[in-house]
Amino acid sequence: MKRDSQTLELCDTFFDSIERCDYEALERCYAREAMIWHSHDNLFQSREDNLAMLKQGMATQQKVRYKDRRIRTFEGGFVQQHTIYVTRENGFVGKMDVCFVAYTRNGKISRAYEYFDTGQIAEFLGPPPDGDR
Amino acid sequence: MTTTELRTMTDGEIRELCNRFFDAYQDKRVDILDEVLADDCIIWHNVFGRETTKADNLSKYHDSYDGQRRRTYDDRTINTFDDGFVIQYSLNGVMTNGHRGSLWICIVARVRDGRITRIDEYMDSSKFAAWAGAPTAATSGGQR
Repeated sequence: MKRDSQTLELCDTFFDSIERCDYEALERCYAREAMIWHSHDNLFQSREDNLAMLKQGMATQQKVRYKDRRIRTFEGGFVQQHTIYVTRENGFVGKMDVCFVAYTRNGKISRAYEYFDTGQIAEFLGPPPDGDR
Repeated sequence: MTTTELRTMTDGEIRELCNRFFDAYQDKRVDILDEVLADDCIIWHNVFGRETTKADNLSKYHDSYDGQRRRTYDDRTINTFDDGFVIQYSLNGVMTNGHRGSLWICIVARVRDGRITRIDEYMDSSKFAAWAGAPTAATSGGQR
């Protein structure tokens, strides 16, 4: 069961680090070869590009929270279901239900698959800034 | 409770249950779906944000095939845990007009005593029109 606890800890550390804007901790969660796939484009994003995107989010988003986390571990990885809440600069709080499936190697995330509904993107992003209307 | 009721399903049993469920969906075997889903099974869909019952789903099963010649549940990657499974797969459809579409879907399921008790389904509704081959601005001019 030691592996289960380590996998659960990795999962918690990954999402907690995003909430706390702890970029170094987040970066340590990814293996060197990490690739992140998203359901909206069916493409793998490189470790470098994904980290850059998350770093940008840390710099611009007021608050990010992963709530209603339901985690299950399996041989070689974990799945977490959650609702992400993002507080935008204008105060709008966007939300999205997400399923995150991760495959691990040596205690780090090696591949991840993120499923969500871009049909509900307006509820996640909120109204555009005044200048974009 | 009896010992039988408390028995944990093995990895192999859960995988078999998972494949039986998707094979039944693919082969239009509502009778097998009825066996595989627990009577109190709840199905939650991210695109609707609400839960539905087994009875709701089975009663609408044949209607869900409207306009489709065939659906196959391919590229199944299944991982199991003590009380369930997660499956990542592509849903490939062939419409009656020959259009082919794919959706990438993930389901997290809970199991108990050989049956599925809960399904959480994650899809991207913005891909539905392309999947079904609905007319778009580029294709609605009659030159299909």
